[in-house]
Amino acid sequence: MKKHILIVDDEAEIRDLLAQYLGSAGFRTTTAATPAEAFAALERDAPHLVISDLQLEESDGLAMLEKIRVRLPGVPLILLTGVLFDQQVVANTLSQKVDCYIEKTAPLSRVLAEIKRLTGA
Amino acid sequence: MNAEPARGAVDRTIRRISAFFLVVAAVTVALAVISVRNISGARAASDWVNQTHALIYELDGINLTFQAAEGSLRSYAVTGDAGDLRAAREGLSALAEHVEVARALTRTEPVLAARVEVARALAAQRTEAARTLIAARQAGQAAAAAAILGGEPWLSAGPAIRAEVDTLKEGQMALLAARDTEQYLQAQTTRWTVWAGVALNLLILTGVVWLIRDDHAARARAVQVLEEANRDLEIRVVARTADLAAANATLQTENLERRWAAQALEHQLRYNQFIVDSISDLVFVLTKNRSISRVNPAVVHATGWEPAEIVNRPLGDVIKLTLPAGADPVPRALAEGHDLRDLPALLGDKSGRQHPVLCTLFPLRDGNKVVGGIVIVRRAAGEMGTS
Repeated sequence: MKKHILIVDDEAEIRDLLAQYLGSAGFRTTTAATPAEAFAALERDAPHLVISDLQLEESDGLAMLEKIRVRLPGVPLILLTGVLFDQQVVANTLSQKVDCYIEKTAPLSRVLAEIKRLTGA
Repeated sequence: MNAEPARGAVDRTIRRISAFFLVVAAVTVALAVISVRNISGARAASDWVNQTHALIYELDGINLTFQAAEGSLRSYAVTGDAGDLRAAREGLSALAEHVEVARALTRTEPVLAARVEVARALAAQRTEAARTLIAARQAGQAAAAAAILGGEPWLSAGPAIRAEVDTLKEGQMALLAARDTEQYLQAQTTRWTVWAGVALNLLILTGVVWLIRDDHAARARAVQVLEEANRDLEIRVVARTADLAAANATLQTENLERRWAAQALEHQLRYNQFIVDSISDLVFVLTKNRSISRVNPAVVHATGWEPAEIVNRPLGDVIKLTLPAGADPVPRALAEGHDLRDLPALLGDKSGRQHPVLCTLFPLRDGNKVVGGIVIVRRAAGEMGTS
């Protein structure tokens, strides 16, 4: 059975690239542009993992992931962002709120490796 | 496998089989010709044998009728009996008849005809002598008749005729024996010829069968080789297709990675642009020779210059340091790569007005190399925007 990944990003190209890449790697994906779409999607079909951009047009991605953590406690969460965080901040703050933090400058293979690690795929 | 050699092999096989069948047909025709000629020869020999037997029969008839007539004439000469006379005449008549038949049978053979002619002459003499004897006896001259019977001509004519006839008969018998031998040999030759022809045909047909079998085996081998080649080709095609699919997947992945990297770069550039543009202080980016390469929106807002109007112009066209003459520290700071902070200066706007400001210079470093500088302009205390 294919693992289901929920992708949340306000940029269509990012969503499409991730969906295409993960699809070719054997994952089933659902995409959402806003937190509202994301919550609707996870209500319809609970994902095995959620990967979200930090800066969404309507909301903050980190806040949305915190709500998802409350809703789906066991689901791994990945924060994907172009904002370069200080490593100390990542260690002290982000790592407690999400399972993994990946910069958008990282290659897709790194994203895939983290998803595989977190989903056990 | 190439189809042309296979077709060539098939053509050769068909040519060979056709050649074999032509040989079989030739042998069969030759056998038929030989057989027909032998049959014709046998028929001619049969006619000759029949004629020879007829001649022998007539020769025997000559001997028998001669002896019968001879006996009847002797009896008549002694008794004068009319029955003996009639028998003698019938014998002589039959003798003449046999002689004539023998002449007819030997008409086409001069040697035999000559001998038969000799016998006929002797028989004619004896018939003439018999007439004389009968005439003498009918005249009542028994002594004269007896004298004729005891005379040399009469006594010698009989053996002469018999000898001639026997010679002829023995010759014919010898010819018959020779002809029998010849016929036997001819029949044997015919048998051998026919059987040899049959054997040759069987041999050729066996060769044709072998050739067809060989050709069939060659075709089977060719089909097998073709099938193996097809299997190998299919395996190679499958492997090649798998390689291409893997290469395509890799290519797609690499393409996605490139698009991802380009997007990330564009995102970072845009984000950095947002940061620079959001700064309220005036920011001038300089090249190493102090030309303006970029400004932020705060510069446009404060001076009225559009970026296109001041980019590539010397910094001195817009900002003039209010330092003692000959004391411009900027070239040295850019060359050595150190900061200059809060230098007093005048900022000129598009309308020509001058505004006192404080400038801070930060060299732009790429590793250990200074590639340009950033000038951040703050308005001096008490100065406001020019908008």
